[in-house]
Amino acid sequence: MWKTILRRLMIMVPEVIILSVLVFLLAKAMPGDPFTGSINPKADPAQIKHLMEINGLNDPWYQQYWNWVVHLFHGNLGNSYQYQEPVTRLIEGRAGNTMWLAFFTMVLTYAFALPLGVYAGRHEGKLPDTIIRFYTYVTFCIPVFVILVLGIWIFGYVLGWFPTTGSVSSDAQTWAQTVGSRFYHILLPSLLGALFGTVNIVQYLRSEVIDAKHSDYVRTARSKGVPSKDIYRHHIFRNSLLPIAAFAGYSITGLLNGSIFTETVFSYPGMGLLFVNSISYRDYTVITALVLIYGILNLVGTLLSDIILSIVDPRVRIE
Amino acid sequence: MNKKKLVLSAMAVLATVSLAACSSKSSSKSSGTGNGSSLKLSTSYNNTSATDKTADEKSTLKVAEANDSPFQGISDPVLASNAEDSDVFAPGGGDSLFNVDKNYKIIDGGLANQRIDKKAKTVTITLRSNAKWSNGMDVTAKDIEYAYEVVANKNTTSQQYSSDFNAIKGMAAYHAGKAKTISGITYPDGEKGNKVVIHLSQVSPSMKFSGNSFIWGTVEPYEYIKNVPIAKLASSAQVRKDPIFIGPYKLDKVVEGESTTWSPNKYYYGKKAQIKHISINVVSSNNIVKAIQSKKYDITASGLGSTSYKQLKDVKGYAKTGQPALSYGYFGFNVGHFDTKTGKNVMDKNSKMANKNLRQAMMYALNLDQVYKKFGNGITWRANTLIPPIFQKYWDSSAAGYKLNIKKANKLLDEAGYKKRDGSKWRSDPNGKKLVIHYGAMTGNSTSAAEYQDYLQQWHKVGLDVQFTGGKTMEMNSFYTTLQAPKQNKIDVYSGAWSVSSEPTPTQLYGEDAPYNMGHFVSAKNTKLMQEMNSNKAWNDKYRTKVFKEWQNYMNEQAAVAPDYFAYGWSPVNHRVKGYDISPANTEFWSNMSLTSSKLQ
Repeated sequence: MWKTILRRLMIMVPEVIILSVLVFLLAKAMPGDPFTGSINPKADPAQIKHLMEINGLNDPWYQQYWNWVVHLFHGNLGNSYQYQEPVTRLIEGRAGNTMWLAFFTMVLTYAFALPLGVYAGRHEGKLPDTIIRFYTYVTFCIPVFVILVLGIWIFGYVLGWFPTTGSVSSDAQTWAQTVGSRFYHILLPSLLGALFGTVNIVQYLRSEVIDAKHSDYVRTARSKGVPSKDIYRHHIFRNSLLPIAAFAGYSITGLLNGSIFTETVFSYPGMGLLFVNSISYRDYTVITALVLIYGILNLVGTLLSDIILSIVDPRVRIE
Repeated sequence: MNKKKLVLSAMAVLATVSLAACSSKSSSKSSGTGNGSSLKLSTSYNNTSATDKTADEKSTLKVAEANDSPFQGISDPVLASNAEDSDVFAPGGGDSLFNVDKNYKIIDGGLANQRIDKKAKTVTITLRSNAKWSNGMDVTAKDIEYAYEVVANKNTTSQQYSSDFNAIKGMAAYHAGKAKTISGITYPDGEKGNKVVIHLSQVSPSMKFSGNSFIWGTVEPYEYIKNVPIAKLASSAQVRKDPIFIGPYKLDKVVEGESTTWSPNKYYYGKKAQIKHISINVVSSNNIVKAIQSKKYDITASGLGSTSYKQLKDVKGYAKTGQPALSYGYFGFNVGHFDTKTGKNVMDKNSKMANKNLRQAMMYALNLDQVYKKFGNGITWRANTLIPPIFQKYWDSSAAGYKLNIKKANKLLDEAGYKKRDGSKWRSDPNGKKLVIHYGAMTGNSTSAAEYQDYLQQWHKVGLDVQFTGGKTMEMNSFYTTLQAPKQNKIDVYSGAWSVSSEPTPTQLYGEDAPYNMGHFVSAKNTKLMQEMNSNKAWNDKYRTKVFKEWQNYMNEQAAVAPDYFAYGWSPVNHRVKGYDISPANTEFWSNMSLTSSKLQ
């Protein structure tokens, strides 16, 4: 298996290179440059030209790409034109926010979805199952941004239960206050994300449970007189979890992509919001860095899923 | 966020406080003589009731900064290039050197006073004796000079170097990296003294006004930042995390991109701050209306636009204040090209829009009064000149501008030979060739889309075949990339907007060698008028006013750049606030404010 993982990692290298060239080219192909938006009577065009020149923006693309690659190997992703600070530091500041948000959303999603899935499968065809299926279909149908906007309106503004902007309150002084405030800010977006992101897990788990219910080992267990509670806990649940566990790798990347919506609606300063902003500013260095990071995370997520699958299911072997 | 901001201010007519705020103390004043809008907003709000006992030490003034992205966090006005940063760091006083009157004229009494010696061609800046930074450090002559080093350094990240700075002796050499110091800036009492003399090759009447492009209006804490290379200043902790200020409040904490919190600065030379805590939070512009309705904030840091006014005008517990913004919208006509060899704009006599009658007719065909009556909510209204009414002295209130007059439009076109031929519903050009005019407009919100449609309809009414460039509205970057090309024929007429400095000389926008002159209109008279605005005679205020008015009427008549709209920057003010006044003459904006109760009303 280690060989396979190593091989997979090796394949990722050309993939990442191709990705980076594509992103770099596409970013440059967009009309405008990092200074297009600066046209105002206070910014002298001559100075803008000078800044374009010292930032190498007038060089041909392959030269710019090469410079970028060379810097990359020195751990330097360049400077953001918009934020005037190193991209690494900029992303560092935002990545934490996004990771926490994604982590909590994932924890809550599983916390909701696992019991629901098992319960629905166990009571297949009965009222609870119908209700749960109805719930998952409804949440699946509604686009995530609609939920977010509705959620922030109802719980943030009308009821006033949750903060509506930022990642931490400006009043938080002590360490405990800061942590508490951060958690409070993450709560609403991750709750909404979780409540409306359960459909895949619930449906998978439900059908796995239904399958398992009719399988031979369950029948054997039943005939031996094992209590129904134990059958579900020890036999069905564990086996049904296999595809869900394998799913985890993908869901990490899914959550990161979803952060673009959540962060924009909640004015939550993470990587998703940064990505959206840097596109409209033509902040090339940030765009390329972020796409590269997201790309690598996607590749790693896929690999992770395969590895998890092979660990939890001895029948699967990566060759 | 400059970019997005520009789109917004251009399209959604969000009159955001302009960059000029960086170098002037605050905004402006409409002294009640009218500005063309049907709506009258006061610049101030004062709760006259007695202060409630609950307004104690813990009361916080809550300020919202409406913006769609986190702020950049560059507290240094030399390096910041956007309004958000100057807004969220405003309680620190913006590092401003000078106080101004209601016309943005520099007056004595601020951190420093300015004297211009016309004969010797020098400007002397003298600091007040009790000028201190918020960490207790003295403000020195070197602090004044260092701002010039930061703005002009060869490796600076600042966008704000202006070619007018080359009038300062030795500045061009320093900017090019050929000199280590700026020879034209001297210290009669030494670097630690309180006086700086700037030697220039020319002095200009514009120097009397804040926001001019010769004399920089802010200070830099040299001792505090001297060890940071200028190229890295914008990303340093001294500028981002623990900046120091000269204003009434000192920074307690900045949460990157989200919020700043402030408390009184005991070293401030002026009126002592009355509010114990101020917090400024970024609120997405989609949420700002809801945030005010649910009483989360006392005031907004920058002006809001017309849509939010419509939604908030009846909100309880808030007063509505505002003043005309330092900005205006305009219609530009493409009448030439930019000669990259000579660096000059050139008019092309044969260009599609070269005919003055055609341009005038297009402007008369528009029904701007009705458009802004419907969509402007009193916050935007038809502009009558290219100088916004915030400049009470220079703005020509009597100029007619372009009111709807279809008859006149048709007549102008007929006279110039733009006739309908061979039974076509469209007019062809005087040579009988098919005439299709391409209108460039930036993608905005639903309101702007409706406005553009109305313009097209009006033009169709007079028989002109006007179509969107490329068949639809343009994304902001493509719009400006197209327009800024030295020569282009994709856009014949376009809608644009400028935010202007608090010194309104328009040479950088419409000058012969101005790259921002994107319609390329040039005439001997225009050049002459703009020169006259800062000629020797223009030291006389009356004469200068006269020239400004003459220029406005000349530009209207030529209709190569024609006025579209003016706007208010307005802010809701919660009724618990006392002493709020955004007039630029209110030099103690933050210190004059106090709270009358602990909770928002």
